[in-house]
Amino acid sequence: MSALVGHSSRTLIDQLLDEQRQLTAVEQFAQKHASHDIPAQAKYYRDLIPLSKPGRGEQYAFAVNLDTCTGCKACVSACHSMNGLDEDESWRGVGLLINSDETAWQQTITSACHHCADPACANGCPVLAYEKDETTGIVRHLDDQCIGCQYCSLKCPYDVPKYSNRLGIVRKCDMCQDRLAAGEAPACVQACPNEAIRIDLVETQNVSAEGSVVPGAFRSDYTRPTTMYRSTRAIPKSAMPLQTSSLRLEPAHWPLIVMLVLSQMAVGLHIAHVFVQETGTALGAFAFLNAALLVSVAHLGRPLKAWRAFLGWRRSWMSREIIVFGIYAAMSAALALLPQNRPLSLAVAIIGLAGVLCSAMIYIDTQRPAWRKEITFPRFFGTTFLLGAASCGCVLAWLGSHTAQTLAVITTIIRVWLFMSEMMRHAEAVRSPQLPEHQAALAAATLLPGVTQLRIGLFAAATVFSITAILGTAPLWPTLSLLATLAGCVLERYSFFTACAAPRMPGL
Amino acid sequence: MKFSLDDLVPIFRQFEGPLTSELVRKPGDFGLGQVPVRFKPDATTTTVCGFCSTGCGLKVHLRDGSAVNLSPDTEYPVNLGMACPKGWEALTPLDAPDRGTVPLLSGQPASWHDAMSSFASRLREIQRVHGPESVAVLSTGQIVTEEMCFLGALARIGLGIPNIDSNTRQCMATSHVAYKQSFGFDAPPFTYADFEQSDVLVFIGANPCIAHPILWQRVLRNRRSPEILVVDPRRTETAMAASRHYSIAPKSDLTLLYGLANILISSGWIDREFIAQSVSGFPEFAEFVRAFTTDRVCAATGLDAEALWQFAQLVGDRSKRVSWWWTMGVNQSHESTRTAQAIIALALITGQIGKPGTGANSITGQCNAMGSRLFAHATGLPCNRDYGSPADRAEIASIYGVPAESIPQSGSPAYDQIIDGVKTGRIKALWVIATNSAHSWGTSEDLQRALAGLELLVVQDMYPTTETARLAHIYFPAAGWGEKDGTFINSERRIGLVKKVRRAPGEALSDFNILRLVSEYCGVADQFREWSSPEAVFRIMQRLSKGRPCDITGIAGYAQLDTDGGIQWPYAKDDKPASHHRERRLFGDGHFFHPDGKARILFSSPREPSEPTDAGFPFVLLTGRGSSAQWHTGSRTGKSAILAKMHPSRPYVEIHPEDAHVLGILHGGAVEIVSRRGMATACACVTTIVQPGSVFMPMHDAQVNTLTAPEYDPHSRQPSYKYCAVQVRPV
Repeated sequence: MSALVGHSSRTLIDQLLDEQRQLTAVEQFAQKHASHDIPAQAKYYRDLIPLSKPGRGEQYAFAVNLDTCTGCKACVSACHSMNGLDEDESWRGVGLLINSDETAWQQTITSACHHCADPACANGCPVLAYEKDETTGIVRHLDDQCIGCQYCSLKCPYDVPKYSNRLGIVRKCDMCQDRLAAGEAPACVQACPNEAIRIDLVETQNVSAEGSVVPGAFRSDYTRPTTMYRSTRAIPKSAMPLQTSSLRLEPAHWPLIVMLVLSQMAVGLHIAHVFVQETGTALGAFAFLNAALLVSVAHLGRPLKAWRAFLGWRRSWMSREIIVFGIYAAMSAALALLPQNRPLSLAVAIIGLAGVLCSAMIYIDTQRPAWRKEITFPRFFGTTFLLGAASCGCVLAWLGSHTAQTLAVITTIIRVWLFMSEMMRHAEAVRSPQLPEHQAALAAATLLPGVTQLRIGLFAAATVFSITAILGTAPLWPTLSLLATLAGCVLERYSFFTACAAPRMPGL
Repeated sequence: MKFSLDDLVPIFRQFEGPLTSELVRKPGDFGLGQVPVRFKPDATTTTVCGFCSTGCGLKVHLRDGSAVNLSPDTEYPVNLGMACPKGWEALTPLDAPDRGTVPLLSGQPASWHDAMSSFASRLREIQRVHGPESVAVLSTGQIVTEEMCFLGALARIGLGIPNIDSNTRQCMATSHVAYKQSFGFDAPPFTYADFEQSDVLVFIGANPCIAHPILWQRVLRNRRSPEILVVDPRRTETAMAASRHYSIAPKSDLTLLYGLANILISSGWIDREFIAQSVSGFPEFAEFVRAFTTDRVCAATGLDAEALWQFAQLVGDRSKRVSWWWTMGVNQSHESTRTAQAIIALALITGQIGKPGTGANSITGQCNAMGSRLFAHATGLPCNRDYGSPADRAEIASIYGVPAESIPQSGSPAYDQIIDGVKTGRIKALWVIATNSAHSWGTSEDLQRALAGLELLVVQDMYPTTETARLAHIYFPAAGWGEKDGTFINSERRIGLVKKVRRAPGEALSDFNILRLVSEYCGVADQFREWSSPEAVFRIMQRLSKGRPCDITGIAGYAQLDTDGGIQWPYAKDDKPASHHRERRLFGDGHFFHPDGKARILFSSPREPSEPTDAGFPFVLLTGRGSSAQWHTGSRTGKSAILAKMHPSRPYVEIHPEDAHVLGILHGGAVEIVSRRGMATACACVTTIVQPGSVFMPMHDAQVNTLTAPEYDPHSRQPSYKYCAVQVRPV
């Protein structure tokens, strides 16, 4: 009996498994659509997009009605689904403003690319992979032009361009430009149940540079974002983004850290070379520079396309850096062959310093408070001179030159000055909420205490090694001094990148 | 001609290429507008969403019969072309890497034959040794009605399992009991068009902006410039969007409602004619509410007298259409049934029911809680029949073609009583279907220990990875929404069609087919020969509904449900076509389902919750939906990377700035929340949207139900998740 049940049930199992695999919805229920020239949804979104194309001087802009944005986040999903984006990719996000004074208040904020009048992403792109469309004003990203340097992500104060590891490029909102071109609404506009998002026409010239688009967003004078947030309700003065006080670390960008430190060491060594004119220093600087450039390529998502990085030279400090470093690399090769040529070494040192200037400007130009010029210049040039002196001292010590001891003195002075001034500035930034770099300093103090302790240790060790090097001639001590200094500089640059409090729209 | 570097630029810029074409959009046909080219469909079909009870129509984009994408259905009468993020992401959980693909016996892959044989023999053995009382089933509001009906009949009549309840106890039991007692049948009277046709909408313990975004959409389509009143201790998204927010003290709602009734009655702002014709129990009620003076109500709720009277004036204005809406803030309370019935009473005494834009309207939680309320065979027999009634039992027996003696004579104990049985060891075997009790049930820590001690725990679910399934001795891999056919019944009584648009992974089977195997292996298949397919069971359900208020005998079948965009019950065979409009409400004739044709007013004196705050536990913990992107315990929504972006990644607790200041808690800082039963850690969100003295945590975090109190409404036995005493301290 049981065998019989088993037998007949196996048949039932097979039958049910077969049935489970049949897909019958199409033959039973599929919808017959004759010809649909007009999308069915058009009746809902017809009034949410302009009737006409932008006129001369006009552009499309998102307009958000905060009174009806109630946080359902359908726009985020619709952007993802209707644009076929990657699993975790959406070009729209919804954040929250909360209030800490007595009024019971909250407000959700939906945001995507602001299609700025003066787009920082486009201004920074070294390969001109951004196009501000002449007729629509849409800031479009040319995916096949992108080399994946991610500089636009640093430049955009709204955290809009997002890097895809799968593709090695960034992608961003294009306001569903081909939908608009066909008279259809962008995905987010179509999907908002409350009609809170619409597309309006604005005069690009007249886009405001006043204040910020919503509390907590970056000041508008930088890029002149076109999104308009409208509300009939007063926004309390104490409104703040939900995430304001949750400190976080930004991506470290390790290849950039190594590239910056090594290239600055190369420039420093080339400067020293002007004075010492040793073959060893010219070769050493050449080696460091090439190592730096090689590592920098690892930062790119699509390095094979990087040759066109000169295209953005008119506006992009990244392009300028790449061009200057290109010339610098060629000239340093020549110097490696003709190390005792003093005019050439002077020219190499100068072009190297121009390279460091470009490197610094890349970060200063992002307008991030923690990267302003008062902070970045001393760090980048300080690193240049410090590592230049330390590495030159090391090379000379191995060559048996007594100048090594002089360089150890110089190294110690630069190191102490640099470290002390940075630590004092940091302490003041932690204490002073009114300083623009306060958030970044807090992030470093709260989230990177280990890094700071390690840097203090390395500073002490490097100083001891340097002093030992002043007193004796053994090449071991300048070498240890150089290694400890180098490690300290890498950590300095790590906190530079990670504890920089990148601005973004209100989030969660 | 002068050469410039810029002349090279166009040559070196690539506007086209493989990366660009990946995101190209092309006309999708089928009325879709442009679609991503890689998801361009070759056919479309409409199905109903499987998360909440709104019951949105989703247009599934098919290629070779299988779903590749979806978008909200423009024409579906519920959602009018919109969906919340969960609906948009409905297909994603089907692709999760941790889907169950084979049955598991003690965690090890097994064949269906072995798993079913083991299930049947162990079940029968436990029944034989410990008696029928030792076995229980916990079901769900997430499966199709046909499966619920089959499961109920199979468990109670076929297998003789006396204990069967479902997670709808946690969401809709209160509305079910309240309506059944008040109207004589569990009959939500409204249709969604009432949102658009109302002049005064009162939301009590409801946050539709987050919990039912598409219903809020319908509110915003109201062109009558309505007054929107929100009663909620928290200044929720809905309270922000409302015209008036009554931020009452937690659990003072019943007092408020009785106070309103007192003002309405004493001011004569009532519909005496309607009361005389259609309401019983009014004189007793009028006498009872006299004690709820303005002073008393203001003291209990924290409202001032002016606000209270203005509230009463708004809802007492007989020139206006007034509608009342409630959700879990009412249902999950220690006196929830009476609170719901107080809302019903207010609608009744003002005559605001049965007309456009009116009603005492319960917004349902799960996609098929309404199906469960009619067909689950748990506390009652199908279509609100009683196990205790010999006539009802005989009727069911004849419909099923079984002897009348085979129908049990009493309803099942409720969820909390079953859980008690598990904890005390009275219940030895538990079969859990599409719910995650180990997370969702209060005092969940205790429960996890008890579940681990069962002789037999069988879990039937899409995922073997839920907190509950991880404890199972036998795991059945279930097909999910989108991988099977059937019907859901939504909040407005609309029966919508769910279709199979995906193949289930591996050997996963629909719950329906798993039930067929169970009936086969347990040797009761002969009783269920007719129950061969979901549509066959739908025809049985139609027979069950015949002559009842929920009569659906007029529906021709699944095809008609599909073409009509769902059909609201009742839809009887003999009705004239005029009564078959797309959007219909009940009680237009003032006739209710009690034998006397009247609705009953039921009331009791308000009680304090069993766990008031004190010096040791000075805060009230409120719980609720945290975001529109999360569904309950996150078994499904947790699988979507996009949905994960829509809520804070860390658990959080909302606390008022005054309290945070006193306790030294900083925004974003870590805090501990401790109740008499458990402890949770979360990140502090210092915000004015909660009142001083109360804190709020979203229920989606598994820690939350280690804190909540084991208190139940005496009538509905629904848990009171929204009030317990806690202390909060910075870490």
